[in-house]
Amino acid sequence: MVWEDWQKNTDGRATVQFNRDELLGAYRRMKIIREFEERLHEEIKTGEIAGFTHLYAGQEAVAVGICDQLTVEDMIVSTHRGHGHCIAKGCDVKGMMKEIFGRAGGLCKGRGGSMHIADLDVGMLGANGIVGGGAPQAVGAAIAARIDGKGRVGIAFSGDGACNQGTTFEAMNLAVVTKVPAIFVFENNHYSEHTGDAYAVGTNKDIASRAEGFGMKAWRANGCDFFETYTAFAELLEYVRAGNGPAAIELDTERYYGHFEGDPQRYRGKGEIDRIRAERDCLKAFRAKVVGAALLTDDDLDKVDAEVIAQIEEAVVEARADDLPDPATVADDVYVEYY
Amino acid sequence: MAIMNIREAIVSTLHAEMERDSDIILLGEDVVGGNGTAGGPEAIGGIWGTSPGLWEKFGPERVIDTPISESAIIGAAAGAALAGKRPVAELMFADFVGVSLDQIWNQMAKFRYMFGGKTKCPAVVRLVYGAGMSTAAQHSQSVYAMLTAMPGLKVVLPTTPADAKGLLTEALRGDDPVMYFEHKTLYGVKGEVPEGDYRQRFGEARMVREGGDVTVVACGRMVNFSEKAADKLAADGIGMDLLDLRTTSPLDEDAILESVEQTGRLVVVDETPPRCSLAADICAMVAQRAFSSLKAPPQMVTAPHSPIPFARNLERAWVPSPQKVEEAVRRVLAFR
Amino acid sequence: MAKLTPFTMPKWGIEMAEGTIADWMVAENAPFERGAVLTLIETDKITNEVEAEKDGRFVRIMAEAGQTYAVGALLAVLSDGGEASAAEIDAVIAAFRPSEAGFGPDGEDEAPVPAPAVAPAAPAAPLVPEGIAISPVALAEAQRLGVDLATVTGTGRGGRIFAQDVHQAGRPESQPALAGVFAMTADSAVLSTPVARRIAALNGLDLAKVKGSGHRGKVRRDDVLAVVSQAAPQPAPAAATPAPTPAPAAAAPVAGTVDIAPMSSMRRTIARRLTESKQQIPHFYVRRRVRADRLLALRASLGADKPSVNDFIVKACALALMEVPAVNIQVHGNDIHRFGSADVAVAVATEKGLVTPIVFGADDLSVAQIGAAMKALAQRARSGKLKPEEFSGGSFSLSNLGGFGVEQFDAIINPPQGAILAVGTARPEPIDDDGAIRIVPVLHLSLSCDHRAIDGADGGRFMAALANLIEQPHLL
Repeated sequence: MVWEDWQKNTDGRATVQFNRDELLGAYRRMKIIREFEERLHEEIKTGEIAGFTHLYAGQEAVAVGICDQLTVEDMIVSTHRGHGHCIAKGCDVKGMMKEIFGRAGGLCKGRGGSMHIADLDVGMLGANGIVGGGAPQAVGAAIAARIDGKGRVGIAFSGDGACNQGTTFEAMNLAVVTKVPAIFVFENNHYSEHTGDAYAVGTNKDIASRAEGFGMKAWRANGCDFFETYTAFAELLEYVRAGNGPAAIELDTERYYGHFEGDPQRYRGKGEIDRIRAERDCLKAFRAKVVGAALLTDDDLDKVDAEVIAQIEEAVVEARADDLPDPATVADDVYVEYY
Repeated sequence: MAIMNIREAIVSTLHAEMERDSDIILLGEDVVGGNGTAGGPEAIGGIWGTSPGLWEKFGPERVIDTPISESAIIGAAAGAALAGKRPVAELMFADFVGVSLDQIWNQMAKFRYMFGGKTKCPAVVRLVYGAGMSTAAQHSQSVYAMLTAMPGLKVVLPTTPADAKGLLTEALRGDDPVMYFEHKTLYGVKGEVPEGDYRQRFGEARMVREGGDVTVVACGRMVNFSEKAADKLAADGIGMDLLDLRTTSPLDEDAILESVEQTGRLVVVDETPPRCSLAADICAMVAQRAFSSLKAPPQMVTAPHSPIPFARNLERAWVPSPQKVEEAVRRVLAFR
Repeated sequence: MAKLTPFTMPKWGIEMAEGTIADWMVAENAPFERGAVLTLIETDKITNEVEAEKDGRFVRIMAEAGQTYAVGALLAVLSDGGEASAAEIDAVIAAFRPSEAGFGPDGEDEAPVPAPAVAPAAPAAPLVPEGIAISPVALAEAQRLGVDLATVTGTGRGGRIFAQDVHQAGRPESQPALAGVFAMTADSAVLSTPVARRIAALNGLDLAKVKGSGHRGKVRRDDVLAVVSQAAPQPAPAAATPAPTPAPAAAAPVAGTVDIAPMSSMRRTIARRLTESKQQIPHFYVRRRVRADRLLALRASLGADKPSVNDFIVKACALALMEVPAVNIQVHGNDIHRFGSADVAVAVATEKGLVTPIVFGADDLSVAQIGAAMKALAQRARSGKLKPEEFSGGSFSLSNLGGFGVEQFDAIINPPQGAILAVGTARPEPIDDDGAIRIVPVLHLSLSCDHRAIDGADGGRFMAALANLIEQPHLL
C-alpha cells in the first residue's frame, strides 16, 4: 500500500480527545526513544558497546501510539528492534542503557543485552533475538489473560520480516481458533534485513491481508503519525478487550538506521534517508499538528527536548560509570533451584 | 498405597494438580479431541490416553486443543508461563521437538538467564518417546540427550508409576522448565503408588538392585531390561548395583560415583545411538572423577549409529536388549 | 656425461621382503619426466606405482616383468640425462652391492642373495594378521611384551589393534573376586545416596543421626563412614594372632618354688637366630603414625567373611615393597639378594613359640586371597603342620601385637631378611585432617631395618609408601 492510501483509511474514524498532559507525555516518550537511539548510534561508534544493536529511530509513533493505551498488566512481546517498545511500555531508561552497555546494573544484569531486554513488572515479556519468536508467546500470554478474565491483552510486535515466519502464521491461527485476546502488530518498515517488502512479502506489500486471511480483523494506519496510529489502535483495542478474539494492525513506518548498527545500507535509494527523515518524522509531524492546532507551543516542546537530551546524557554517563558484572556469577540464574 | 499403571498415575496426577492449582493449564494436539467435529469433544482425551476427563472438569480455557503447530504450542506455553500460568504442553511424539526446538532451546530454556534471573518459566513439556512399537525413524527417538545438554532445562524420565506421579508433581510445583519424558511402551507398567501428596525430588537416582560387582546405569525402558539381565547374572553369583537415574538433568552424580567406587566397573545402557549420547556423558564423567577406582574401561550399551528401522525384527536388533546388557557386564568382568 | 645410478626394489613397510614386477611402464632408453610412472610393483598386499623422482631414462633394464626380486635388488640402471655406453653401464652393475646383505666374502662380484630379514639386532617384528591395522604404540608394546599378534583381538574399526588390546592379550585371564548380590536396602526419608544407605544398614546406623555433606544436606557415603569408623576405634584383633593362649593359669608355680623347663628345639632355634640377629645386624628403627579410619571403614563396608585388618596390612606391605625394592631384599654376607615379588612372612604366635609362615607373591594377591591364605597358614602353624618351605625364605616380616592392646613396639629382624614391621593397636588420636583436627583411629608402625643393606632414606620411603597405602585403602 502507498502512503496516500493510508491517509484515506484514517478518514471517518472517531476522533480521540487528548489533554495537554497526555500530549506532552506522548511527545516526551517519543522523544526519549528518538534521543536514546540517536545517542546509541553515536556511542556504538566508540566501540564500547558489544554485540548487535538494532535501532528503532523513526518508528516511535508506533510504540508510543500503542503502548500509551495499555496498562501495566497488558503484556507485550517485542523483537530484536525492541528499545522503543521497552521504553514505551515503561522500562527504566537508565537500566536499559546499562544493560546495553553490559553493566551489572542493567535491567538484566548484563546477561541479555540489547536483544533480550525484559521487565515483567511492567508487562514487557522480552525483546527476542529470534525473528518470529515472540508471536506464539504473545498468544500464550493472551491465553493466560483470557483465563484471568480481567480484560488484559497479549501483544506481539512483528516486522515485515517476521510476517513471513512460520511461527507467526501458527500463532495467528492458534489465536483465532482459541479466540484469545491476542494482538498482532506488524510494523512494516519496508525492510526485512537487507530485502525490501516488495520482494519478500508475497501479498504485494500488504501484511494486514494475511491476518485477515487467517480469520481475524485487521486495521491499517500510518505508523509515522502518532494520532493516526493512536486512533486506529484505540478501535482495535476496544474490539479485542470486548472479547471478540484476536486482531491485527499493520503500520506503515520507516526506520532511519540500518537493520543493525554497522549495516552499510547499500539497499537504500539515493537520498532516501534524508527524504524519510524530512517527510516521515513522527516528531516533526506531531509538533506541526499540536502547535498548528494551538494545543501546545514550540517552547513547550523545546523544553521537553532539552529535558530528554539531558536525561539521556545522564543515563549514558551513569552506564559508563557502572560496574561490570562479576565473572564469578556467570553461571548463576540459570534455574530457580537445581539440586 | 494404590496399584496403578504409569498412564493412570499421569492422569490422576494431572487431575489432582489442576484441581489444587488453578494456574495449571494443558495444551496439545488432541488432548481433548473432537473439537470442530460432528462428534464433538471429548473424542479421545489424548492419543496416549493421558488426559481424559480434564476438559470436562476444568473447561476449554484451561484444557486447550491446539491445531498441529508445535512451535505455536510450545511458544504459547512459554508465553503463558511468563504471564503467570503454569502450562503443561504435550508433544505427541518427542521427535517433534525438532519442529518446536527454537521455543524450547532459545526461548524457554534461556528466559531466566537472559533476563537476569528476574523471571521464571514454570512450563512442563510432556514428550512421548522410545522405540518398540515399529513407529519407525521419525516417531521413535529418545531425544533426552540433546535436551539434557541445554542449560536451563530439567529433564525427567520416570520408569515406574510411583515415579511418574512423583516426578510430574515435582515438575508442576517447581518453577523451572521441565521436559517430562513418557516412554510409549511403558504406559501399562503397573506398580505401587503412594497416595495423596507425593513428590519425588529431581537429581535422586533409584537403586533398583544392589550388588558388589558392577554398576549399571540406565533410564526408562532400559532399566527394566537391565533388571532382567540382573536376574540372570545373579544366578552366577554376579551382583549388580542397578541405578535408575530418574532425571538426567539434574544428574545424581553422587549415587553413580559412590557405586562405581565400590564396584570398580561401570556399564551404561542407553536407548540411543552412541555419539554424543547420555551414555557417553556418564562414562566421561566417571572416567574423570573415579578413574582410579575403575578396574575396567566403562562400557556403553547403546543402539547402533543409525536411524530406527521399521521391521519388527530390525527394531529388536536396534534397541539394546537384556542380553546385550548381560554381555556387557560379563565383558567388563572379564577385563584383564 | 650422464650420471648413472642403480634402480633397486624399493621397501614399503617393515615386513616387505620382496616384490614382483607387474609391468614396466617405460621402455629402455625412453626418456621420461619427473612424476612419470616407471613400473608397477606387486607385494603381498598391494600393487604400487613407482614414479620417477627426476627426469631421466633407464639405460638398461635387467629385471623382467612377472619376476620376483628381493628388496634392494638391482632392477635397472638409471641415467639422469642422455644415453650411456655399455661399458659404463656394466661398471655400475659390477660395483653394485645390495644394501641389505652387505659385502660378499672376499669382495666377490657376485651379489649374494640378501636376507629378507630386517635389521638383525631388533627382535623379529610381530607379524600382524592379514589386513589388520595396528597403532604404532600397540605394535611397540607387542614387541616389548612378546605378545603374539595372532592372539590379539583388535577392538578398533575393522579389527584395528590398539595398545589396550595388546595388553589384554598379554595378561592372564581375569578371575574377579565376586562380591555377589546384596540384599536391597530400604529407601530412607533422609536425603541420602544409595551406597550411604547400604553402609548404614550394614552397620546398624540410623541415618537421621548422620550429618550430610551433600547438596541440601544429602548424606553421602563418606559421611556414614566417618561415623562408622569412629564407633569402632579398635580394629578386630589381628587374624594372624587370635588371642594366643597364654600359659595356662593352672600351671603357675607356687610362690617360692621354681619350675625349670628345658628349651624345646624350636625355642633353641629361635633363641639362636634372634641372638645372632640382635648381635650382628645393625638395627635402626623408622617409626610412623598412620591413620586407620579409612581402612577400618572400608573393612566395615564389606559383608560377612571380611578379611582382617592384618590382611590389609600384609597387602599394603607387599605393594610398598614393590614400590621401594631396596627394602624387599635378603642379606647374605656381602651379597644383597633383590626380589621381584613380595613374599611377606607374617608372625603367628603358637603354643610352642613364634612362627612366621610366608604369604608368597602377596603383591599379586587380593586382600581376600591373602586373608584366605593366612587363615590356612595360621591353622597349619598352630597345629604344627607347616612345611619348611612355607616358613623359610621371604624378604620381609610383619608382626602385629595390636590384639593385646600394645600401642607400639620394635621387632627383631628375621635374618636373612632385610626388615620387619611391627604393628600396634589403633588408638583414637588427634590428627590434622586438611587443617581441621579430627580424632581418628591411628596405628603406630615401627620398621626395623638392617643398616648393612638398607639406608635411612629407603626405610623412610618404604614407610611413606606404606602409610599412603594404608591411608587410601581403595588402592589395596
